[in-house]
Amino acid sequence: MAPTATLDASDITEKARRDLLQLLEGVRGKKNLVIEKSLAGPVGLFVKFSTLQEYGVDKVFFLENNNVDSTQRNVVFLARGEKARQVQAIAEQIKRVRRESKQDHEFSIFWVPRRTLVSDQILEETGVLGEVNVVEFPMYFVPLEKTVLSLEMDDAFGDIYLRRDPTAIFLAARALMLLQKSQGLFPRILGKGENAKSLANMLLHMRAEEDIDASSDPSNAHVHSFDLTPSATIDNLIIIDRGVDFPTVLLTQLTYEGLIDETFGIQNNQTEVDSSITGAAPSQPPPQQTSGANSQAPAVQPPASSALKRKILLDSTDKLYTQLRDANFAIVGTLLSRVARRLQSDYDSRHKANQSINELREFVNKLPSYQAEQASLKIHISLADELKKVTNGDLFLRVLEVQQNLAAGADPSTVHEIIEELIARDCPLTTVLRLLCLESSVSGGLRQRDLEHFKRQVLQGYGYQHLLTFAALEKIGLLIPRVSAGAGAYLNPLANPSGAATVTDYNLVRKSLKLFVDDVNESEPNDIAYVFSGYAPLSVRLVQCILQKPYLAQLTNPRTTPALNSQPSTATASGNWKGFEDVLARIKGPTVDEVQKGHNAAASQARKTLQGSGGGQVKTSIVFFLGGVTFAEIAALRYINGQLGEKRRLIVATTGMIKGDTAVGAGVEGRSFKTR
Amino acid sequence: MSKPTADWERVGDRFYRKTQLYTSVFNPELELENYVVTGAPYSGAVALYRDEGKIYTYRGNQAAKSTIDIHSCAGKLIRQIPWDKGRIKALGWSEDERLLVVTDDGIVRGYADLQGDFTPFSLGHGAEEHGVQACKFWSTGFVALLGNNSVVAVTRYEEPRPQLLASAPPGEVVSWTVIPPEYTSSRSVEVLLAIGKTVYVVDAAECEDRSLEAGPFRHISVSPNGKFIALYTEDSKVWVISSDFQDRFSEYESKVKTPPKDLQWCGNNAVVLAWEDELHLIGPNGAASKFYYDSFMHLLPDIDGIRVLTGDVCDFLQKVPDPTEEVFRLGSTSPASVLLDALEQLEKKSPKADDDIQLIKANLDEAVDVCVRAAGQEYSIHRQKQLLKAASFGKSVLDLYNSDDFVDMTEALRVLNAVRFYEVGIPLSYDQYIRLTPERLMQRLVNRQEYLLALKVSEYLHLPVDRIYVHWARQKVRSSSTDEESICEEIVRKLDGKRGISFEEVARAAYDEGRGKLATELLEHEPRAGKQVPLLLSVGEESIALDKAIESGDTDLVFFVLLNLKKKIPLSSFFRTINSRPVATSIVESSAIDQDRELLKDLYYQDDRRIDGSNLLVSEALSAPDMGAATDKLKMAAKLLRDSKEFAPQVAALEDAQKLTRFQEAFEKDLTERYVGLSVNETMSKLIKAGNMKRALKVQTEFKVPEKTYWWVRLRALVSRRDWRELEEMSKGRKSPIGWEPFYDEILSAGNTKIASLYIPKCTTLTVGERIEMWLKCGMVAKAGEEALKAKDRNALEELRKQASGPALLDVERMITQLQKGR
Repeated sequence: MAPTATLDASDITEKARRDLLQLLEGVRGKKNLVIEKSLAGPVGLFVKFSTLQEYGVDKVFFLENNNVDSTQRNVVFLARGEKARQVQAIAEQIKRVRRESKQDHEFSIFWVPRRTLVSDQILEETGVLGEVNVVEFPMYFVPLEKTVLSLEMDDAFGDIYLRRDPTAIFLAARALMLLQKSQGLFPRILGKGENAKSLANMLLHMRAEEDIDASSDPSNAHVHSFDLTPSATIDNLIIIDRGVDFPTVLLTQLTYEGLIDETFGIQNNQTEVDSSITGAAPSQPPPQQTSGANSQAPAVQPPASSALKRKILLDSTDKLYTQLRDANFAIVGTLLSRVARRLQSDYDSRHKANQSINELREFVNKLPSYQAEQASLKIHISLADELKKVTNGDLFLRVLEVQQNLAAGADPSTVHEIIEELIARDCPLTTVLRLLCLESSVSGGLRQRDLEHFKRQVLQGYGYQHLLTFAALEKIGLLIPRVSAGAGAYLNPLANPSGAATVTDYNLVRKSLKLFVDDVNESEPNDIAYVFSGYAPLSVRLVQCILQKPYLAQLTNPRTTPALNSQPSTATASGNWKGFEDVLARIKGPTVDEVQKGHNAAASQARKTLQGSGGGQVKTSIVFFLGGVTFAEIAALRYINGQLGEKRRLIVATTGMIKGDTAVGAGVEGRSFKTR
Repeated sequence: MSKPTADWERVGDRFYRKTQLYTSVFNPELELENYVVTGAPYSGAVALYRDEGKIYTYRGNQAAKSTIDIHSCAGKLIRQIPWDKGRIKALGWSEDERLLVVTDDGIVRGYADLQGDFTPFSLGHGAEEHGVQACKFWSTGFVALLGNNSVVAVTRYEEPRPQLLASAPPGEVVSWTVIPPEYTSSRSVEVLLAIGKTVYVVDAAECEDRSLEAGPFRHISVSPNGKFIALYTEDSKVWVISSDFQDRFSEYESKVKTPPKDLQWCGNNAVVLAWEDELHLIGPNGAASKFYYDSFMHLLPDIDGIRVLTGDVCDFLQKVPDPTEEVFRLGSTSPASVLLDALEQLEKKSPKADDDIQLIKANLDEAVDVCVRAAGQEYSIHRQKQLLKAASFGKSVLDLYNSDDFVDMTEALRVLNAVRFYEVGIPLSYDQYIRLTPERLMQRLVNRQEYLLALKVSEYLHLPVDRIYVHWARQKVRSSSTDEESICEEIVRKLDGKRGISFEEVARAAYDEGRGKLATELLEHEPRAGKQVPLLLSVGEESIALDKAIESGDTDLVFFVLLNLKKKIPLSSFFRTINSRPVATSIVESSAIDQDRELLKDLYYQDDRRIDGSNLLVSEALSAPDMGAATDKLKMAAKLLRDSKEFAPQVAALEDAQKLTRFQEAFEKDLTERYVGLSVNETMSKLIKAGNMKRALKVQTEFKVPEKTYWWVRLRALVSRRDWRELEEMSKGRKSPIGWEPFYDEILSAGNTKIASLYIPKCTTLTVGERIEMWLKCGMVAKAGEEALKAKDRNALEELRKQASGPALLDVERMITQLQKGR
């Protein structure tokens, strides 16, 4: 790959597709494919089932269902090899098939994204290693959009914060390393948070090791000249540790896309809604839009139970959706009616008198696109309608009231009564926990007495198994008892010699970064705060600290001297934290700022010259959300990108999409006491 | 100087040339006819092994010891491998110069890097039982033919996985060969077996009869590009056909009674038929030429020609390359040929030089190109120079010419001449060099321990040199007999500061030699933490290995070390080891939660992490098969925490949990309904829904459920069972801890406007406007009017008039007048 090309998401998609098909081709003849459930979605993003069939896949099974049969001689497993459980499951199934089947089988395992020592050891111990063909399928980033790359690791949040298992961080570092290999070094790595720090360290570490690896691996001796030079197209990497900013996840997202995710859930760019909402059962020959949705559907046959559900594809192939997704839900209705009127008038134009034949032909040519748009309009109107029902509900409004109060910095005790009421009314547990966690996050923990009180309420309301839920949430750091000032000062020097804060001082940060904007304009956004109707996500504010210094300075302190404003934002070429050090010190976790230089200064210079680093170049910043990102944050970043203009491109990368329910859900105990 | 065309031979309309590469190759006493000889591709090393099938003169005990000898093409002995491991059935090479020795019993030994150490693997698939008959090798794998005619393919040597191909019919295999996977349409290796009168094609899935009838074919051979097959028929003809058996290209009759001993391809367009000292070169369309040798010869086919090895010469037979033919063919008038002539005239200081240049002025750039390329094809340094000079001369006349090719060629030739030197003995042709790549050529030099040459060439070509140093160091570790400290010191001194050096590899070599201490010392210089881990484990430095694994950040490595560690050391020291390393602890915890709960319990116990230990028991209670077991676990969980005051709320909750199940079990007995598994609120709700108010109240008091919560639960339960009577009764109550709006809301959303309206007057905290709205929602416009009247709100009444109809309209109007009157 040419190291000078600009980062293109379709290259990544294409490579993943090619890799997978090549591996499948390597297994001769027809085969049954056994796929891990959490991989089916991501794989479906770049390969259609029909293509898999062309490559000899006969039937597809989910690994979790443990039901692969012996109809084909070849059995191919596609799974992640990081966790012992998965490996064990595969070993069991191989043994079962071997035991039950009369014929000889050829087993292959494609490990995603890499083959691990542990998997080898387990396979060896179970006695199947000798007979399986083990290969790697190096799928790291999966592009969800042109500017959104995701590792699609569903468990990443729980792994990083609850189980403190850094596998996800390591794999993220690997994925970013691959980007650096094709694009050149990130000239500057910025970040905030404990895990951001370890990710940055891993990247530096890997880069040092890369030199040696490249040369000691004889198979790639010819590409050894991987003498990394700083990239000319990518300006910096900004790592945001989710642990730095829990409140943004816990708040209800108020953009259209965010709200769809909160209400119906979005998985791999698809949402599943009851077919009674959108009409048109999928079994009927679908109109334009649905046919798009179906052909893109994951490569795996949907389980039979979803007969009443309909899958809707939500991505930028749908023009209408592109206009709607980032808008605050409050104005979606207006937008929809505007589009409806335009469509109507376009369509009505056919009645215009004395049209020439040419005009008529033009009209007929446009017909298919009208129909597509109309179909999409119909879907979005019914979705918006359904969402409206939810947002008008009493519960939703109550929850929103609590959230807005907490985000604005009101005294938490004022909302306690509402939370109690919500528990008494048996509203969903995750909703209640989100509110409690939100309070804990913005006020540095709950008072011990309040915490015990709410624990009691929740245990009585939802069951005693949630003792475990509370333990988990405390481990994650979402719901913690407040440490009194004295104890904190005593612990501080022990806990972090680096001097970085352990708890974010929200009251201060809210003021100095203006996390709450009172006069937010939802229809004509003037600040990222529009995505939460008032609250500006801290994570995105941090990005602004680097990319939009003058704007942020003016916002937080309107009387700033124009001298600071007049400095163009491009003055600091690769960005830094300058000017915001004080605030950063009050946000928990260490601050990262590393500069990467090439070994060979001349080569870097040459590359810069070749690229013509001067004017015409579009500079890219990669914002990596470690632990997950919400749709609302992506919307806010897209808004910022719009403000920054053509010269800069923001790419969002993440370990996976996240919303409050999944974050809290990582801690929720799913079992209950039952007699069996 | 001999003429360049002196050793050319015309075959049909093409020329072939025989270049003498080396003379006095082997010891004259060596009886080459008694040896099995195979050569590595790209002019690599040659392996010799005494053919056990042949008789030889008895020379006393000493000579009878058998060895495999590895020579360079110039005959220099590189390595001698003593052999006492059974009957060798096949010797072969891979393209990275790995020597493969296959014995009778299906054991394959791979000798990498021309060293004496091997890695063995077994073919399996019945090889031991039926015995290996023969093997055919290609660049990255081989196929073995077993005694029962089954064929086993090995397609890679890293983690080899012998694969049984489809079974062939029985019968004697007269001759056979393979088409490498990269040239077949199925991308799996195909085996051609000449059995009986026909040829069978066998691949992984099927065996197909090609239905030929001219067999039995004594010889069968596939061209280097996999497109053609040469067959030697029963009636001593050579056929050349396409590899899909669709087209027959040429036929040749040798007219020799004795069957030939070998049939091989010479490049992609000629076939060589060999007897003991006679050789027929058969070109396209059956044209042929004969060569004779003084002694027995062996054929070593390569990609662009064939090497002929006898006791005293090593020749290279190839088609005369196109540029060479263009320049040197007798009577050639090509621009390149004229350019060469111009140079000769120039050297003679003759003005004809200019005439020549004028003659080819129009094609001069092409002439230069051809001369450059022809230079690459020459083995004689004199002629290389001559051609390059001609090119250089032509270049000087041209106004514009890109000299990159010229420069590259001079570089390549320098390298080629250096490695062709007889003491190195790698007679690479230019094409082979390009295919082999300079990097792999370096590897070959290093394998021959030509470190100095390798370093010089690498620096000349700007190639990385780290592999050369590492190889040198490994060799040093293996062969040096000085004490370990000085070895380590010398190696570190030489390698220090060089980029990209892998000390891990050197350390591994030391470890393999049994020098554990040296290995550990060397390992300390390895910059990549992750790489150190496996070796540290092997030398028994587990805790250092764990640290290094954590340093690398690779959780897989950490997990791997932990798995090994747990097996090796007692549990208590295992816990001590992980205790001070939080990452290790979390990984143990997160994996044990699925796999080994007992381990986790011990861990928590040892660390005195009571709350975690207690939670683990709660989790077990949740998975317990029955309620009795669950209660026991909960008891244990509570017991763990009881001593400490700070856990009091937790203990209370655990006790409440047990109490709740006791209650629920009692309810189940009395009411024959399921209660276990519900929460306190759900239990109350269910009780109320079933009309058991008393029991619900009991639960409330027992569990100290707040009044507000209880009221909510009751309200929702009553609404859900549509108990309007009770709800009506409640509206007469005086106080509600949750206010009265919830009643209105819940009942209204259940659809009973009549009962809902009962609560409107009680909502005294609300504004008049809100209450009007509430009445309206119940459809009671008149009542809404009364509300407005009471508040003397004229505007509200006017508003209501618009909405009202029928009797309500009258009422509202009456109220408006009343209000007017009252004023």
